[in-house]
Amino acid sequence: MIDISFFLVFSAILFGIGMFGLISSKRGLVTLMSIELMLNAANINFVAFASYGGHTDGMVFVIFTIAIAAAEVAVGIALMLNAYKIQKTTEVDKLSTMRW
Amino acid sequence: MIGILDYVWLVPLAPVLCFVIAGFFGKKTPQGGGYIAIAGALIAFIIAALASYDYFTSDYYANNIAYTVEMEWMAVGEFSINFGVYIDTLSCIMMLFASFISTLIFIYSIGYMDDQGVKKTRYYAEVSLFLTGMLGLAVSSNYLEMFVFWEVMGLCSYLLIGFWSFTHPEGDEAAFRASSAAKKAFLVTRLGDVCLMAGLFVLLHLFGSLDYADIFNFDIATVDSNMLMVAILLMFAGVVGKSAQFPLHDWLPDAMAGPTTVSALIHAATMVKAGIYLVARSYPIFIHCTDAMIIVAVIGGVTAIYTASMALNNMNIKRVLAYSTLSQLGYMVLALGAGAYLMSLGIEEGEPELMLLGGAGYAAGIFHMINHAFFKALLFLCSGSVIHAVGTEDMRMMGGLRTKMPITAYTMLIGSLSIAGIPILSGFWSKDLVLEAAFAPFHHGLGAGSIFMVLFILGMITAFMTAFYMFRMWFMTFCGEPRGHCHGESPKPMTVPLCILAVFAVISGLFVVFDGSYYILESLRTTIDTVIPFHTGMEIVEEIFTAIPTYVALVLAVVGIGIAWKLYVKTPYDAEAFKPENHGALYNFNAKRHYFPELYNWISWKFGAGVAKGVNALDVHVVDGTVNGLSNAVVGGGEGLSAVQTGYVRDYAGLVAVGVISILAVFCLIFLYGGGF
Repeated sequence: MIDISFFLVFSAILFGIGMFGLISSKRGLVTLMSIELMLNAANINFVAFASYGGHTDGMVFVIFTIAIAAAEVAVGIALMLNAYKIQKTTEVDKLSTMRW
Repeated sequence: MIGILDYVWLVPLAPVLCFVIAGFFGKKTPQGGGYIAIAGALIAFIIAALASYDYFTSDYYANNIAYTVEMEWMAVGEFSINFGVYIDTLSCIMMLFASFISTLIFIYSIGYMDDQGVKKTRYYAEVSLFLTGMLGLAVSSNYLEMFVFWEVMGLCSYLLIGFWSFTHPEGDEAAFRASSAAKKAFLVTRLGDVCLMAGLFVLLHLFGSLDYADIFNFDIATVDSNMLMVAILLMFAGVVGKSAQFPLHDWLPDAMAGPTTVSALIHAATMVKAGIYLVARSYPIFIHCTDAMIIVAVIGGVTAIYTASMALNNMNIKRVLAYSTLSQLGYMVLALGAGAYLMSLGIEEGEPELMLLGGAGYAAGIFHMINHAFFKALLFLCSGSVIHAVGTEDMRMMGGLRTKMPITAYTMLIGSLSIAGIPILSGFWSKDLVLEAAFAPFHHGLGAGSIFMVLFILGMITAFMTAFYMFRMWFMTFCGEPRGHCHGESPKPMTVPLCILAVFAVISGLFVVFDGSYYILESLRTTIDTVIPFHTGMEIVEEIFTAIPTYVALVLAVVGIGIAWKLYVKTPYDAEAFKPENHGALYNFNAKRHYFPELYNWISWKFGAGVAKGVNALDVHVVDGTVNGLSNAVVGGGEGLSAVQTGYVRDYAGLVAVGVISILAVFCLIFLYGGGF
């Protein structure tokens, strides 16, 4: 059996990539993708712990997470489309109309 | 017993309710709330009279116990401060004459303040509160409660003396004088009040309570006598401020800037009598400090002659009366001080003769306070009536008013005769008792006898001066040729109280014949364990008429009246002599009040202003500095932190990540090096 630390390190790397993308990229769609990466890193952790711990709660939660992530992406892309319609850009730093 | 004694707390409550009603709704009632104020004072008088009757017929009086009801007001640490009523003869006397005279003054005000328009509401509300202060002070069961009412009176005197500080009938100059007189009255009495408060702190420290009942029943031998002397002198400083005794006397003549009815109220019924009351009330502790009592008597005697001298050449009818009040207050303090001195020696040596004389001195002080209340209220109201008719306070503009306003003239004559000490009238009895009390220590060859002998002689000279200046005032106002315009006699609401007061100015002295001093001494019998001997009324009358000083005083008074007659009636009025440029140096020195106002100013500027500047610097730099520094720190910190709020979502995400990572790092470190959670 593969040691759990491989899963956790993999998940941490995945989370780090997502975090880096979130912070470094100005583009709204890349931001959404980065969030998706981070969610999946969490999902891997859930599944890994569920599998090693011997009960299925984690598996169930992964289903929820995927469902919510899908909804979140739908909302996020809709926001981006609308933002593009109005501002002709999806760069998050330029969407500053409602900033303080 | 008719049970009304349990409702004696209604006495101060009735006027305070009238203060609220007159203050808020007075404008909608006739006379701007005047009738409400009269009703309040009258109700207070009726309840006071019934309660006093109740007290005198009760077991409390028969067994020499003061009626006390208290409830806890607040508890601070181990001290609890109570709020309640303490009724003995002294309280009854104070309540009765304060409410009775106030009722008459309020009735008089209906006529006197008739032309004041909407300001009447303010006037009637404030005088009601003033009366509340006095009645509350009389029924209070402890020093702190008394102090609260003491301060209420201080506030009301400030408001009423400054009644005309915005618009004065005589113009802006007079309005300015009224406002500065109000401030002066407030600040000068404040000096005494601060001392009184300090004295109360010392008392609380010594006795662990401020209740009269506790303090007077305390085993005084266990108390540190030096501290007790400090407390007594500080309390007496409060009396000096409130009752306008020698160094702090100068606010009272200035207080004449208020309406005449207010002057009558301050001088006769309330305010200055509070100080005398405090001395009388504190007798059970005052008599344990013989040396301090000599100071009390000296202050009283000096005040009496010093202020009487200033009345000799004053041209303002109200100021003459103000100085006369000061002088009479000096008499009262002298009598109380001499009485306490005698009594303290008497109790120390177990000498009944000295205790009898001490009790007589105490009774003389209280008795003079009652009589003075009647004749001074009468005199002030008469002067108000004159001012109302003539429109000026300057006696040089009066003259020959006797035929035009006969009621005022003859009631004022009764008041003047009474204060001058003409036999059978009230002033005669009490003044002789006061002088007798001052004479007794010398007569019995006591330690401070020579000091008291000087005070007795000063008192005698004061008696002469009193007769002179009162009749100078009466002759200048009512005799000779008319020198100004006069409207004629005042309306009924003003003359009726004059007649009633005149009756009392004649008969109130006869109280002493009917064992008055025995009743007055009851308040000492309730608090002092030793049996205090007393003389019956007839014995006192016999003493007065067989003593030589009585006749000396009488001759001096008659001579004073005669000189006044010679100078102001016999000699034709010479306008030249009254012009300022024809005045001598002594005249000017006297008219300038011996430069006391300048002395006050000098002390205030040299000493007071420096202290004020220091306090101001402390306020600006330390207190404000702390507050402002704190707020600046908060504002600056907020501005600094607001730089983090860039508005870029990526920055926020980064900060959240850094935050989470650092928290995790901290937990990991704790986990690794702390050996688990």
